[in-house]
Amino acid sequence: MTEHTAERPSSDNDDFDAIVVGAGPAGSAAALELARAGRSVLLIERGPFPGSKNMYGGVIYGRILDTLVPQWWTEAPIQRWVTRRQTMMMTGEQALTVDYRTEAWGRPPYNGATAYRPDFDSWLADKAVEEGATLVCSTTVTGLLTDSGRVVGVSTDRPDGDVRARVVIAADGVNSFLAKEAGLYGEVDPANYTVGVKETIALPRSVIDERFAVRGDHGVDIEIIGCTGDVPGGGFLYTNSDTIAVGLVLSLPALAAGGRRPEELLAELKLHPAIAPLVEGGEVKEYSAHVIPEAGYDMMPELVGDGIVVAGDAAAMCLAAGLWLEGVNFAIGSGAAAGRACHGALRKGDTSAVGLGDYRRRLESSFVLKDHRKLREAPHLVMGELAQQKLPAMACGVAEDMFTVTNPEPKAGLMRIVRRQMRTNGVKLRSVVGDTWRALRAFG
Amino acid sequence: MNPPTSTDPGCVAACVKWVDLSPETDPTSGLPVPSAHSWGFSEADRSAVEVALRLADDRGTDAVVVCVGPPDAQWALGELAAAGAARAVLVTSGNPGDTRGGASSGETARILADILGPVGLDADTVVCGDISLDRGSGSVPALLAHHLELPQALGLISVDLGDRPRIGGATRDATTTLMGVRRLDGARRERVGIPARAVMSVEGAVAPLRRAPLGRAVEARRRVQRESSPRRPEPVRPARILQWRPPPRSLPAPEGTDAFERVVSLTGALEERTPPRVVELAPPQAAAEILRQLHRWGYLTDAGAAGAEATAAKATGSEPTDPVTAEPRP
Ligand SMILES: Cc1cc2nc3c(=O)[nH]c(=O)nc-3n(C[C@H](O)[C@H](O)[C@H](O)COP(=O)(O)OP(=O)(O)OC[C@H]3O[C@@H](n4cnc5c(N)ncnc54)[C@H](O)[C@@H]3O)c2cc1C
Repeated sequence: MTEHTAERPSSDNDDFDAIVVGAGPAGSAAALELARAGRSVLLIERGPFPGSKNMYGGVIYGRILDTLVPQWWTEAPIQRWVTRRQTMMMTGEQALTVDYRTEAWGRPPYNGATAYRPDFDSWLADKAVEEGATLVCSTTVTGLLTDSGRVVGVSTDRPDGDVRARVVIAADGVNSFLAKEAGLYGEVDPANYTVGVKETIALPRSVIDERFAVRGDHGVDIEIIGCTGDVPGGGFLYTNSDTIAVGLVLSLPALAAGGRRPEELLAELKLHPAIAPLVEGGEVKEYSAHVIPEAGYDMMPELVGDGIVVAGDAAAMCLAAGLWLEGVNFAIGSGAAAGRACHGALRKGDTSAVGLGDYRRRLESSFVLKDHRKLREAPHLVMGELAQQKLPAMACGVAEDMFTVTNPEPKAGLMRIVRRQMRTNGVKLRSVVGDTWRALRAFG
Repeated sequence: MNPPTSTDPGCVAACVKWVDLSPETDPTSGLPVPSAHSWGFSEADRSAVEVALRLADDRGTDAVVVCVGPPDAQWALGELAAAGAARAVLVTSGNPGDTRGGASSGETARILADILGPVGLDADTVVCGDISLDRGSGSVPALLAHHLELPQALGLISVDLGDRPRIGGATRDATTTLMGVRRLDGARRERVGIPARAVMSVEGAVAPLRRAPLGRAVEARRRVQRESSPRRPEPVRPARILQWRPPPRSLPAPEGTDAFERVVSLTGALEERTPPRVVELAPPQAAAEILRQLHRWGYLTDAGAAGAEATAAKATGSEPTDPVTAEPRP
């Protein structure tokens, strides 16, 4: 590549100070920090525009943007602010829901918000461009350029497609081919991954407001457990302005072993008596699927190599811990940390693995690795049989027994009901105590 | 507006239109859904750019890409031009509230003619996409040819660009430098010789656009020259629309010796005619009855009526009947 005329990078051999691969939340946050620090940065995206290739459930926790884009809520392309959050446990025909709502989440600085990724990712990438980053789309990075084992740039699928820089940030999402090529990942275990599938269903705004009991730009986030049959996983349902997103997250190996199709399981969820009235009459606008790095802390690669840093899903930073499915905020957090660490390394003139070591230190002292470390056990616990099947069945059973009136018989005591449900669902007291202890440690 | 200075006399220009490539309608309301991400340039326009690039290569001259559109088009226009054009010109309406360029076909053609004419880029050959995806009139290339006073070869489905096999053995002669093929009605095609100075429009499959080298793609945004449209769109003068009236026909005078007889004869009031019949039937039987009546009046043949009867019988679960007598058929 010869035609670049932006700010001069600090070395004559390099076209840019930094190349960021992938204009998802992690890549754009990294490019934004670097450009803001005055670095020449090339942000490469394979899709025709940022976000065009990306899917997720739908809720972004935006507080991480407070420092990156002050007052972000006045301009970010938000669909609805989540002011109502439900956790639903279900069996074939029962559902027990814990429903929490607060008006506080509907005003600044807000909490969660639903947004479409093509809108949100384009907006964040534009912020990086406004700060001086160069964005090139419809360009796929096909490999790393190395010199004596050190990453010195990337090659792309365009004619004359090699481009050099002093540091490369791999923010190319789950399955990061670049992190693998750089030797930062060990053996890849499919059990560490889940697949997420989602339908976006159009409904008139007024119908959504009515069905979900919200007004204006307030919305609902429903997380569901016990809705995936014998495949470990979970479900979700989120409200946008005039669509709803309903989907599942499913264990990859269990899907393969059971021969079940994700769309079949999603169709079953949509037919469930607790969900069917919410989606009824809607028109499916979109079906999408994407892999999620589920195992969090336990599957993270080496975060830096000589001349390369890995951020976001590429580094398995997505937090998938049952009650939480947060990837975008962790991607932004890790991307911003990568950008700052690379700027520091460039200033010191050392972009070797040692010079880039500040990245890990930054993550360790931020929510990104703190939360991951704290919730390290959570993914295993949530995907276990107790949380997946026995707990929802038992909770629904207890609720049903408590609220079923069987006069002339008198009401059964709570302890008796619980014991009966434990017996019915094959739950041993010892395993409940053990798992409760593990849960307290995992979520404590 | 100062017209852009010519890069080289006789450049080849591609004219492209910024359109919604996948317009979406809200399935619940039927209203169009505005989308920032689905706008771009059609395959036909991309093909026009490739044809322009190859012609410019052949002739050792520059290719330019011109768009009359909104500021939103700048980036994508730069990417298009990055494939090899010497420059890209985006003409915006200058109206800040205008997000779509806002010019009619006539106005667009006039603006393009200003840019591409002798006092502007002085383009020899202009290549446009055939039809835009936004149900445009397809008239811009023709109007442009009119303004530039150039011959036109429109709706081309292939162009002999020198590096491809000649089409159907067509050869170039002294007056034509290019050969093209275009569609005619009735699945026919015609070969046309195209002079060196002409306006062409091409379909999307004529030449897939080459990929831009990385360096040029990176520079894409900076490559676009922005111009403001010099003219305010002309006010539209609607043609006077008259109500349609059937032409007068002379009829013979009604027969009759007095006014009453003549009125009776004119209206046919006392003539004998089949009295109206009121039937009340369930929909399947009603449908069958309508078919029978159509047959009686001669609108359905015997065979057609029998087929319709059989279908109606299947729908109602009854025996097929004779279309005339309505009796069960043997
Ligand atoms: C079903 C599902 C539901 C989810 N729900 C939520 C949720 O509700 N809330 C939440 O916060 N998170 C959610 N997540 C997780 C979240 O989507 C991810 O954690 C987040 O998108 C990670 O961001 P990223 O920038 O690291 O990667 P990505 O968003 O995957 O971005 C990577 C980018 O790199 C580009 N790219 C990849 N390879 C190349 C290449 N070779 N060359 C050039 N470009 C390349 C891609 O096109 C893409 O734009 C969900 C995920 C799934 C699958």
